[in-house]
Amino acid sequence: MRYLKELIGSRELLVNLTRREIRGKYKRTVFGQLWSLANPLATMLIFTLVFGFILRVEPDKGDPSGLDVFAVWLLCGLLPWTFFATVLNLGVGSLVSNAGLIQKVHFSRVVLPLSMVGATAFNWMFEMGVLLVVLLILGAWVIPWVPLAIVLMVLLAIFAAGIALMLSVANVYFRDTQYFVSLLLQIWFYLTPVLYPISLVEGQSAAVGNLGGSGVTVEGIYSLNPMVHFIEVFRQLLYDNRWPDLDAFLLCLAWSLGAAIVGLVVFRRAEKGLAEAL
Amino acid sequence: MTEIAVRVEDLSKKFRMYKERNQTLKSAIMRGRASVHEDFWALRDITFDVPVGSTFGLIGSNGSGKSTLLKCLAKIYYPTSGTITAYGKLAALLEVGSGFHHELSGRENIYLNGSILGMSRKQIDRKFDEIVDFSGVEQFIDQPVKNYSSGMYVRLGFSVAINVDPDILVVDEVLAVGDAEFQDKCKRKFVDLKKEGKTVILVSHDMTAVKTMCDQVAWLRHGELVTTGPAKPTIAAYYDSLNHE
Repeated sequence: MRYLKELIGSRELLVNLTRREIRGKYKRTVFGQLWSLANPLATMLIFTLVFGFILRVEPDKGDPSGLDVFAVWLLCGLLPWTFFATVLNLGVGSLVSNAGLIQKVHFSRVVLPLSMVGATAFNWMFEMGVLLVVLLILGAWVIPWVPLAIVLMVLLAIFAAGIALMLSVANVYFRDTQYFVSLLLQIWFYLTPVLYPISLVEGQSAAVGNLGGSGVTVEGIYSLNPMVHFIEVFRQLLYDNRWPDLDAFLLCLAWSLGAAIVGLVVFRRAEKGLAEAL
Repeated sequence: MTEIAVRVEDLSKKFRMYKERNQTLKSAIMRGRASVHEDFWALRDITFDVPVGSTFGLIGSNGSGKSTLLKCLAKIYYPTSGTITAYGKLAALLEVGSGFHHELSGRENIYLNGSILGMSRKQIDRKFDEIVDFSGVEQFIDQPVKNYSSGMYVRLGFSVAINVDPDILVVDEVLAVGDAEFQDKCKRKFVDLKKEGKTVILVSHDMTAVKTMCDQVAWLRHGELVTTGPAKPTIAAYYDSLNHE
């Protein structure tokens, strides 16, 4: 509890560090903030070409929105995933790259990984804003679902922050962590239904049946991945425009609270030793 | 009995000296443990009081534990045992320009650096003119700091730090920044701080500076406190011991 109070006390520092990340990033570029949109756009184009056009992945039509555009369906899952992956990639190195600061000034260290979350979330809000406009142009009545989508965005940010806190500490002691994370994220990406609809996994799972008669199904193992639920709920809200499955939503809530608590506890225990360990 | 600003009691700090520091997972797993280490006591049972309003120097040869003690005071290291109690707001100035971002302007960096040092936005707003004035970089305040000369850079950093306005200021060798004119300005600032009844704790190898500025010193040798006392006789005793060795 005292730790949370300390965190609130450092909110100005958090804002300033986040601003440093955002402003510092695109200084001396011609297009500035627009670059943050370039990456998801390029990824969307290439994935749409390969998976929508060549491999012909056909997700269900938006129900009840009636949308049937692969690129938009893809973005509803891709943007949250990219946010998550970027937070982990940046967060893992946030303590090591600020070693000089940690060894010279006393401040609440937790703001370092959190400022990465903040800066990434800032870009993500832009991307989601553009997506919202596109959805409206295509005729999806998405406005009523925006508040819930924002709640889910906050939950995903909390989930990502919790994991980033743990990883940033691990990276101080084992520099392997950052390389491991980028590898893990690649695998994780394909184990999350971003490029394909989850119905394909359900179909395969039903075909395979119980694994060794144990009552465990492929789908059961697959759903252990929390990102499956986050992506599912994002699509239900934004692409389908309907109430999300309650259990999926509750799972997202549970995962983000769990990650945040474990992350803060781990970080708090390691915090005092950071200056020496770096 | 004068009032006490900082009380250090039985302070000890142990470091682990790693024979093999395994920062890769492979070596940790191969050997079945994270590291092989020996204990090294950088500070042992240090006890002293710093009176309010004094300028207190830490002296001693290299490796005597001055910087470790300073970092403990600054809450960067945490003591293995013992306590440090500060009566009042304590700020540490171990490096100038901490967290400066090269691409950002001097103005933006003042706010960034100030908030890292624990100032609120309002405080910085209030102190802004004073900071800029003291640093002498008015003309370039909206330029990115990477275009600053090294002197301008440290002057700006120092000006922010000195304006944090603590009751107790902990300083490490930072008096040697800028040109002669700026150093004079700094010395005057320290005199002003003293007049305001602030406590300053500093480490310096420049004994003349210590002699002129400090009224109390603590003398450390191999992590142990030799003595504390008025500046002049203690420094003289320290020099004596060096000649005998």
